[in-house]
Amino acid sequence: MNNIFALAGVVIKELYRRKDFYVLFVMTAVVSLLLGSVRFFNDDKIVRFIKAACLLLIWISTLVIAITTAARQIPAERESRTIFPLLAKPVSRWELIAGKFFGCWLACGITLVVFYLFFGLLTSSYEHHWPVATFFQGIWMHWVFLAIVIALVLLGSVVFTAQSSNATISFIVVVGILFAGRHLHYVGLGMNGFGGEIVTAVYYAIPHLEWYDMRDLVIHDWAQIDWIYIAGATLYGALYTGLLLGLTWMVFRRKTLTL
Amino acid sequence: MTRLLLSLVFAACFTLATVLDSRIHDLQAQNDDSTGVMAALLGDSRRLFANQLFVEADVYFHSGYYPTMFDKKETDIDVKGEPEGDQKGKEAQKADVEESFLGPPQDWIERFGRHFFPTVHTHLDDERSREVLPWLRMAADMDPHQIETYVTASYWLRRTLNQPDEAEQFLREGLRANPDSFEILLELGYVDDFNRHDPKDARQLFALALRKWEKQDAAGLKPAPKARGEILDGLVRADREQNDFKQMLLDLEALKAVAPHPEAIEQDIQETRGKLAAPGGAPPGK
Repeated sequence: MNNIFALAGVVIKELYRRKDFYVLFVMTAVVSLLLGSVRFFNDDKIVRFIKAACLLLIWISTLVIAITTAARQIPAERESRTIFPLLAKPVSRWELIAGKFFGCWLACGITLVVFYLFFGLLTSSYEHHWPVATFFQGIWMHWVFLAIVIALVLLGSVVFTAQSSNATISFIVVVGILFAGRHLHYVGLGMNGFGGEIVTAVYYAIPHLEWYDMRDLVIHDWAQIDWIYIAGATLYGALYTGLLLGLTWMVFRRKTLTL
Repeated sequence: MTRLLLSLVFAACFTLATVLDSRIHDLQAQNDDSTGVMAALLGDSRRLFANQLFVEADVYFHSGYYPTMFDKKETDIDVKGEPEGDQKGKEAQKADVEESFLGPPQDWIERFGRHFFPTVHTHLDDERSREVLPWLRMAADMDPHQIETYVTASYWLRRTLNQPDEAEQFLREGLRANPDSFEILLELGYVDDFNRHDPKDARQLFALALRKWEKQDAAGLKPAPKARGEILDGLVRADREQNDFKQMLLDLEALKAVAPHPEAIEQDIQETRGKLAAPGGAPPGK
């Protein structure tokens, strides 16, 4: 367990040494504040538009941070040859994968706290209230979503040879699921024959990442969700993350680490 | 040698910029639509986004409850809606959801997933209806010829938010881009009539709207017949507010020809004739 936390600590240090997070945070903050300064029809009480824009930027930024951070972990260790002394020490391949996963996930958690703190301050300056429960649910679900994404990208990093192709494919898959995942079975029902059955099978097989996107509920001030559903979605996310990490380990343990 | 070449290229770029800049500005000035940052960034392709932004305003009016391209068509349940904060019990909500565009869930994934996005049909209350305005403003920037955008924004500004100045300013902007629009003139008339209580100016705007409608009709553009009725209704109201019964009689006769219930208008005509016939019924000069 110590090995896992030591590896995770290195990944977290890497996050604050690199510029990605700072650039994305500053960009999100500047764009949100600029949009906040725009007055539509001399009305200074319009807030949902700013909330929507800020949350969209947060989702894009954290997705980029999660994918790029996770995608470079194993390839970077191989390219710099540090993976050999790492595995020569009493660190198993499973511990390496778990350490990298927890490092990326915790790093994303830190970025989420910073981003949502900014979001909370921005919106409360307009609305003068802070729906803490809904915010917490939104952050938690976002973090569970990122756990699945990181596990998916780690699997990609042991399957695909190039880091860039892994990042691009992961980004397309994640955005595709967010956009169409909820509707795939209707698409399958509308198709005839074998094609329809394949689409329906894909619908059941994919991780339903769209569940974790609670932006509409946060933007439009809907009441908080029953915690039992949040727990259910968390369990689903944990199972899927475990499955993806298990698959990553299965592929990685058979991989010959040569240059 | 390299430095010399780079200096020459820079000088060529500088010269070209001085020549092209004024010409590009001249070209932009010829086109009424080429104002604003969006126009500079997107060109004519921005019109493709205008309709989507208008739809986004409707999404906000329904607090995120809106069919996607994958969903079924809207049902009666989707059209009615409750004011925000005035929501039904859970069982009634569940029954409504199953009758809505969402339909009953097909499997456990869909049933579970419905807890994480809005599934109850509500409408924004008057105070919060301002949240639709940014999308309408951007839709107008994207496509200045989408008349519905100006009329819808004006409806919210003048009726629920009591901002007639902003409504008029936006409508005037729309009128500059669409000088033949009777819809915008009718809405401008409403601003003067209902918000400013100025029937004289309102009547002029309604009369101009009627002329634009007739011009479009004569040109075979098939303007909406309902709009003619609304314009005539506005004229009659302005006449009544000014006690101009002679003109009101003429406008009522025209309205009767297009009204869905002409008997009600006929009754109004008889009452107006009675007022005109009564001694001292019509003010002098009217």
